[in-house]
Amino acid sequence: MSALPAWQNPGLARPVRRTPSLMQDSIDDEALAAAFSSKERWAFEAAYARFATLLYSTAYHVLGNAEDAQDCVHDALSRVWRSPDAYDRSRGAIRSFLTVCVRNEAITRLRSKQRRSRLHERVAAEPVEHDEIAVVDVVEHQRLRAAMARLPDEQRRPLELAYFEQKTHVEIAAQLEVPLGTIKSRIALGLRKLAMALGGTR
Amino acid sequence: MSAHIGEDAALYALGALEPHEAAAVEAHVEHCSACARLLAQAEDDVTAMVAAGPLVEPPAALAERILATPDASTPATGRQRSRVPRAAWFAALAAAIVVAVLPSAYVYRENLAMHHTMLADADAMARIATSPHRSTAFAGRDAHVMYAPDGSWYVVVIRGAKTPMHVVWPHDGERTMLGTAVPHGDVALLYLPKSHRMDQLALMSDGRVVAQAQLVF
Repeated sequence: MSALPAWQNPGLARPVRRTPSLMQDSIDDEALAAAFSSKERWAFEAAYARFATLLYSTAYHVLGNAEDAQDCVHDALSRVWRSPDAYDRSRGAIRSFLTVCVRNEAITRLRSKQRRSRLHERVAAEPVEHDEIAVVDVVEHQRLRAAMARLPDEQRRPLELAYFEQKTHVEIAAQLEVPLGTIKSRIALGLRKLAMALGGTR
Repeated sequence: MSAHIGEDAALYALGALEPHEAAAVEAHVEHCSACARLLAQAEDDVTAMVAAGPLVEPPAALAERILATPDASTPATGRQRSRVPRAAWFAALAAAIVVAVLPSAYVYRENLAMHHTMLADADAMARIATSPHRSTAFAGRDAHVMYAPDGSWYVVVIRGAKTPMHVVWPHDGERTMLGTAVPHGDVALLYLPKSHRMDQLALMSDGRVVAQAQLVF
């Protein structure tokens, strides 16, 4: 039995293919973003259809179970959609905007859950228990791990703590015994280098 | 103006800021376009990480919950009301396809997924035969647009299309991008549920307008 949770262990997962959709394919992201910011209802539905796997995966990896992940995606998207100024195109790609909204919602929920656990005198750093899940693309998973492994340790470690363990920069600085400003720089640099390695264009 | 966000962009995108710091970032980018671009880049980077990690298929039940989300202006009791225009959209599209598009077996096949959705909605099917629509040809291309008299939906069909064509709405001296009609075989089709009337549509290819249609309401 592997010590890794199921979502980090491709060996426990079964591959699943995405279902193509005619409507998803016929509208580009720019048009979708424009319609979304104009509050056209079809764009909200098309955005979910297009990014559902990405958004759900984002929430799942933080929260570790299907029920919490569903609530998180639902609440994050609902809030964005119902807020009059939540998204405009100057805020960048809608795909990335929604992903970060969901991730931040998931982290907020996780920290709240951990605070409640502390109140109940449980172990604060108790790891999240993950359901066994169906991973869509095992090769992609290995690509992330491989790209992270190529970062210098001083950038990789704080980035891992931020991304995989959802720690704040204050917590990371304390854990690694490095000044706050240094930790910020290392995370920012590591993130940029990692994205470039994964195929970023900017 | 507050301090530029700098490296906090990456920390915000990763969710690694304290709540008050995250709030400061959100407030700052509302009026600083340079920092908004910086934040957008950091969000792209984090999204690249998520996309390169293990992806998990969401359960179907989540889609139902998401689609039931009311619009901001919809009252709490408006869920049932919000479903009416949705059914009408499907009914209107069904009518358009049955009356005008269905004779093309190819287009029918390409729309199978959408057609299945329509077949699942018995109420929508009951409206097919009675939903009125209009049809207007584009000047400049072998293309036409079918549309509801109230402007609630539009279907653009382009024949002989070899490359994707953008469909735009020219109005008030601007062009609003509506979507892209992607060819499947010789036919490109774009379905546009809308909430307003558009009296003119244009097709664009390689950055220029190649056809226009005048719609009458």
